[in-house]
Amino acid sequence: MTPLEILSATISGQASPRVPVFCNLLDQGAKKLNMSPEQYFSNGEYVAEAQLKMLKYYGHDNVWSAHYVGKEAQLLGCKEILFANNGVPNVADFVIKSWDDIATFEIPEDITQHPHWKSMDDCLKILRSEVGATNPICAYVTASTTLPAILMGMDKWIELVLTGPVDLRDELVKKCSHFVQQQIKAYRAAGANVIIYANPFGSTYFIPKKMIVDWSMPWMQQDLKDGTESIVYYCGMAPLNTVTELVIEKLNINIFYPAPAPLDDLRDAKRLINGKGLTSGVLDDIKLIHWTEQQTRDEVKRIMEIGKPGGHFLFGTGFMPLDIPEENIITMLNAAFEYGRYA
Amino acid sequence: MFEAYIKEYNEAVFDIDKEAALEVVESALQQGVTPEQVVFEIVIPSIEEMMAEIVINADTNLAQHFMTAQIAAEVTEQMLTKFEVPPEVIGRVIIGTSYGDLHSLGKRIVMGCLKSMMVDVIDLGVNVKAEAFVDAAVEQDAQVIAISSMMVHTATGEDGSLKVRALLKERNLEDKIKLVVGGAPYRFDHELYKKVGADTWAADGVTAAKIIRQVILEGKT
Repeated sequence: MTPLEILSATISGQASPRVPVFCNLLDQGAKKLNMSPEQYFSNGEYVAEAQLKMLKYYGHDNVWSAHYVGKEAQLLGCKEILFANNGVPNVADFVIKSWDDIATFEIPEDITQHPHWKSMDDCLKILRSEVGATNPICAYVTASTTLPAILMGMDKWIELVLTGPVDLRDELVKKCSHFVQQQIKAYRAAGANVIIYANPFGSTYFIPKKMIVDWSMPWMQQDLKDGTESIVYYCGMAPLNTVTELVIEKLNINIFYPAPAPLDDLRDAKRLINGKGLTSGVLDDIKLIHWTEQQTRDEVKRIMEIGKPGGHFLFGTGFMPLDIPEENIITMLNAAFEYGRYA
Repeated sequence: MFEAYIKEYNEAVFDIDKEAALEVVESALQQGVTPEQVVFEIVIPSIEEMMAEIVINADTNLAQHFMTAQIAAEVTEQMLTKFEVPPEVIGRVIIGTSYGDLHSLGKRIVMGCLKSMMVDVIDLGVNVKAEAFVDAAVEQDAQVIAISSMMVHTATGEDGSLKVRALLKERNLEDKIKLVVGGAPYRFDHELYKKVGADTWAADGVTAAKIIRQVILEGKT
C-alpha cells in the first residue's frame, strides 16, 4: 500500500500494514538546498524540491505545501517577515495596528490571484504531480478565531476578544472566516489532501469551554461549512481532549492532532474518540533536540503501544525545530516504522 | 462584608469579567475599604489565588491568566494614586522577549502581575538584544532579567538567554542578577531552562510573577 492508501485505510478503520508516520519538516528545506530561508521561501519550486528530497531521504509519509504561518498574514497585507537562519519566520509587520483598522481591513476577492499565493500554488503543482497519487500532501489553515493574532499580535487580539466591543471582534472574525473558506477551497483545488485546521482558540488551554461553545464553535462551523473531509483538528500544540467530543458532535471532524504528553493524554484521546475518528500520537519534538537514541526509541514505543490497539491511529510530530539533530530524526522515524507495524 | 468583596472579586476575575471586577472594587471603596486594602487584601491575594489554582487545577486558561494580570494592573495603578504613603517596592526586574522574538502576550501577563505585587518592572519590549538586557539591569540596579520566548530558536539561540548568561559571567554579575525564562518551548521541555543558562523558569505568565518575586526575596536574605 502507498502512504496515502495507508492513511485512507487508517481513517476509515480498514486493515493496513502499519501506522501512518507523519514528520513535519518545513524549515529544514532551506538547509537541504543550501539556501537562506528568505531565498528558499521566495519560490514554491524550491519548497517542493526540498520536500521531495526530504521525503526520499527520511522516508516518512507526508509532504508540506505550507511555507510558514506568516504567509497567511502576507496574503492579507503583511509587508515584513523576520527570517531567521535558525528557526521559524516571524510576522514583523502587523496589518491591524489599532482597532480602527478593522473597519478598512479587506480580504482579497480571490486569494489565488494574489502574488503571495503563487509560490504555494507552484509548490502544490509539483507535489501533486510527483507524489499526489501516493503521499499525503499537507496544507495549513489558521482558523478565523485565531487568524487575527497574526494580523494584530496575540496580546492585542486576546484583549479584543475578552474586553473589546463584541461587534468589532466579530466583524474581524467574519472577514477572517471568509478568508479561511477561500483558503481551504484553494488548497483542495490545488491538490492538498490533508488540511491542518489550526485553532488555539478551540482549546480550553486558551479560553473557557463555555466561550468555545458560544463563540469559537459557531465560527468554526462557518469556516468549515463546505465540508470537513480531510480536515485535521489541531490546536497549535495546545491540548484538545477537553473539546474532542464537542468537535465530533458539532463539526463532524474525524481526525485529531492532540498535544504531546503530558498536555494531552493519549489514552484519553483514544477513549474520547472511541473509534469515531483518527487519533494522532504526537511526539514532543522539542525534547527530541536533546534526547539520546534510547530515549527517542522509548518514547516512540510508548506512543505506539498506547495508540495502535484498535487502529484509527497516526504517529506524528510537532513542527520539528531546526535544532533537532538529523540522527535523532532518523532514529525517531526508524523506531516509528519498527514499532508501528501491525502484526 | 470584606470577605464578600474578596469572593466577588475573585469570581469576577475567574469568570474573565473585567467589568464585574471593577464594580466590586468601586463598591468596596464606597463602603470605606481603603485603596491600600484593595491592593494588599483583594488584588494581590486574588493573583495568589490564581497562582495556587494553576498548580492544583490544570484547567485554568490563558484568558483567565490574562485577565488576572490586566485587572490587577489596572486596579493597582488607580489605587496607587490614592495611597496615603507610597508602598515599598520589593525589587526591580528587566523584562523583554528574546532576540528575534516578537510575541508579547506572556510578557504582558507577567508584567501585570508583578506591578500589582509591588515589583518595579522595566519593559524593554520585543526582539531585545542580550547586551540591552544586561546593560539595563546594571543601569537600573535590577535583581532579575526575565526573558520570554515563544519559539524554540529564540529560546535556544546563541543571541538569546545563552548570550545573557555569558555576559553576566563575563561581567561577574551572576551573584547579583538572576536570569528567569518562560514561554512555550519551556513548557514542552522542563529541563530546557538549564540548557539556555537560566537560573529558573516558569510555565505561564502568572506563575512567572510568583517565581520572579521569590527570586527577588531570596536575594534579599
